[in-house]
Amino acid sequence: MTRPSPAAITGIGCICAAGRDLAAAMTSMAAGGRAPQPPVRFATGHPKRYPVFGVPDAFVPADLLGRTDLLLTTRFALAATRQALADAGWDAAALRAARVGVCLGTTVGSALNIEDFYREHRAGGEPDLEAIERFLRSNPAAAVSRELALDGPVQTVVNACSSGTDAIGIAASWLRAGACDVALAGGADELCRIIYNGFISLMITDEHPCRPFDRTRRGLNLGEGAAVLVLERPADAAARGARTRAKVLGYGSACDAHHLTAPHPEGRGLRRAFAEALATAGIAAGDVAFINAHGTATPDNDRVEGRVLHDLFPETPFVSTKGYTGHTLGAAGAIEAAFTVACLETGSIPGSVGFTEADPEINATPAAAPLTIRGDVAISDSLAFGGNNAVLVLGRGDR
Amino acid sequence: MSARAAVRGIGVAGGFGTGVAALRGALAGAPSGSAGQNAATGDAAGCRPADTASLADFVDRKALRRMDTISRLSILGASLALRDAGVERVDERMGVVLATGYGPSGTTLGFLDSFIESGDACSSPTLFSSSVHNAPAANLSTLLGVTGPNLSISQFEVSASSALLTATLWLAEGRVDRVLVGGVDEYGPVLGYCWRRLFGEPDAAGCHPLETRRQSARPGEGSAFLLLERPAGGTASEVVIETVRMGRVEGASAAAIPADRLLILGADGHRRCAAAYERLVPRGSAVTTLGHLWGSFPTATAFDAAAAVLLLQDGRTPEPPPGPADPERWHLPAAGEPLPAAGIGLLRVSGSGEYALTLMHRT
Repeated sequence: MTRPSPAAITGIGCICAAGRDLAAAMTSMAAGGRAPQPPVRFATGHPKRYPVFGVPDAFVPADLLGRTDLLLTTRFALAATRQALADAGWDAAALRAARVGVCLGTTVGSALNIEDFYREHRAGGEPDLEAIERFLRSNPAAAVSRELALDGPVQTVVNACSSGTDAIGIAASWLRAGACDVALAGGADELCRIIYNGFISLMITDEHPCRPFDRTRRGLNLGEGAAVLVLERPADAAARGARTRAKVLGYGSACDAHHLTAPHPEGRGLRRAFAEALATAGIAAGDVAFINAHGTATPDNDRVEGRVLHDLFPETPFVSTKGYTGHTLGAAGAIEAAFTVACLETGSIPGSVGFTEADPEINATPAAAPLTIRGDVAISDSLAFGGNNAVLVLGRGDR
Repeated sequence: MSARAAVRGIGVAGGFGTGVAALRGALAGAPSGSAGQNAATGDAAGCRPADTASLADFVDRKALRRMDTISRLSILGASLALRDAGVERVDERMGVVLATGYGPSGTTLGFLDSFIESGDACSSPTLFSSSVHNAPAANLSTLLGVTGPNLSISQFEVSASSALLTATLWLAEGRVDRVLVGGVDEYGPVLGYCWRRLFGEPDAAGCHPLETRRQSARPGEGSAFLLLERPAGGTASEVVIETVRMGRVEGASAAAIPADRLLILGADGHRRCAAAYERLVPRGSAVTTLGHLWGSFPTATAFDAAAAVLLLQDGRTPEPPPGPADPERWHLPAAGEPLPAAGIGLLRVSGSGEYALTLMHRT
C-alpha cells in the first residue's frame, strides 16, 4: 500500500437538524440541545410514535425548497454544496472552468421511494410517471454536477450508512490520480416512510431520544441532511490563496463479510478499516486527538464499535453526535466528517447527548460533556449495513 | 499516477446465456439462448432474462434460499469471473466494486408490498435489509468471503464506468491486489410498465442501435464482472484498462473521443441518447454497438467491457449491429476485421448528460 498525499478541505457545507449550516450546528451541539419529534412530512400507522431528527423547512433555501422536481435528498445536497463552495471561495464561473468531480453518498436518494406510484400500479391503475422521472432526475452526484454545469467524474456511493465516509475517501483518490482538479464530496439523505418503516421493522429504533453508548440504549433515531466538502490538491489550494480548513490524511475501508445487518462480533472489518486509515495517514493510534464515532445507539453497533475503540484507542476521547442529528444514513459520514473538522478547529468536542450510564459490556465511554482536545489529527468512522466499515483520518488545516 | 489494470477473468450472465463461451457466441452472431418473454416476470416487453441456475455450481443451495434475483446475479457473475481467472482463494487483499442502476428494485417493491398489504407495523425486516442498494455486494462478499473494501455505486448509465474508475484507482494505490468489479441490474413488471409508458411498445423489428431517429431499445438484465489486477508488465500479453474519463456531453470537445480505436458505443436503441453519440464521436470513426445482444439497462457497459476483453484477445471485430446506419456518419467494420492497434474505447452517455470513456488495449 502506498502512502497517499493528503487532500485539502477548503470548504464545508452542512445542513441537518442540529443547524442550517456547520457553525449553527456546532453552536447548537455545544449547548447540548436537541428536539427530535415524530415525523411531520408523512403519516405512519405505527402504534408508537418514533421520533426523528427532521430538517426544518426554514433551514432550506427558499428556491431549493420549491424545487419539487427534485427529491429532497438532492435539494439538501445542493444546499450543502452552495455553502461549501462559498466557504471555499469558488464562484460558479471559475468552477465551470475546472475539472470538478462529484462524489456523494446516499441511501434514499438512490432508492425507489415511489410508494404512491406503486400503490396505484398495484391497484391496476396507470400511474403517472412523475415520481419515476423525479427519481431519475435526482441522482445526487449527477444532479449536483448538472445543476452547477460541472465537468468531471460523478459517483453516487450507495454503501448504506458508510456512504458519506466512503465518498470523501474516494474523492480524495480522484484528486491524487488527476481524475479531477476539484472534488465535491459528501452525502445526503432525507427521511421517508419506507426507510422509517424499515428501521422500525428491524427493531433497532428507539421510541425515545437515542442514547449512544449508554447502557440503557434501545436503538437509533433517524435523521436527515447533507454535508459536502470541497477537496483540492494542497498545492492547488495554496496557489489560488485558499484557506485549508483541514486535510484528508487517510482513508480505510473493509467488509465484515459476515451479515447483512449485524456487525461482525469482533469488529473484524472495522479493525482493518482503522488499520488502513492509520497506515495511509502515516500516524499511530496514539496520535489521534479524538474520534467522532458512528455511535448509532443500537445495541449491536455500539457494543462492537465501543469494544474496538477501547482496544485500538484506549486513551482517545470519542463522541457520538447522532444524539443531535439522528442517524442520517448516507449523509452521516459526511456530516460527521464536517463536525470533526470543526472540532479540530475549535479544539473541543461536544458531549455525547443521551449518554449517562456506562455499559459494562463495552469498557469504553464517550465524552459525556464538552471536552477540550489536544492534537492535530482526528478520526471519523462509519459502520454500515452489509458489513461495510469506513474510516477517515482528518488533520488540522491552516488555522 | 498510473491507474492501469489488467483483466484476469470475466463472468457474465445475461439474456444471451451464461459464461465466456456464450458471450463469444453472441459476439459471433450465434442465436441467443433466450429471447422474447421474461420467464421470471411473464412480461412480454422484450426483455431477455438472465438465468442464474448455474449459481448452484458455486454456492450451497441452502445459502441461496432467501436470496433475491439481483444478489444471485451478482454472485454468479463474480463467481464466474473468479473461475475464469483460475482464482481459488479469496482474501482480504481483494475488493468488490459493484455498479447498479436501480439496485434491488424487486425486493424494494416487495418490501412495499409487506406494509401496503398488512400495515406499517407488519413491514418485513428481511425484505427491508435486502432492499438496500449494497445488499447484493454484501451478499457477494459474505458468500465468497471477500473481506477487502466493498463499494456499491448507483450512477445510472455511467455506473459501470464509474465503478471501473474506482476499481483501477484501488489497484493503483495498492489498497488491494485484486478487484471484482461488475455491473448488475434486474428487470421486473414495474420497470416494464415504466418502459412502455416512456418508450411505447417494443419495436417489432428489433433493436437498431444506429438508426438514431428511431426508438428501438429493448430492456435487458444481467450481471457482468471483471477480475482486475495490476498489470504484470514486461513481455506478458494482457488486456489492460488504460484509463476511465468522465465528463459532461455538453461542452465536451471532439478531441475527448479518440479516433484511432474501435469505439463500442453504448447506443442501445434509445433515441434520446443517440444525439449525444452523434455529437461526441468524430465523423467516420470506426464504431460498433453490442447492446442489442444483452438489451438496454443502466449497467450494460459492464457487458461491453467484458466483450471488449474477448475482442482484444482475439484481435478481431465483432458482427456489426443490426439495422441501418448512416455510412457518412459511422464506419462499421465488418466482422472479423483486425482491430485497430490502439485498441478499443467504450463510450457510454447517460440520460443526465454525462459521458464515460474507458480505453482498453492488449499489450
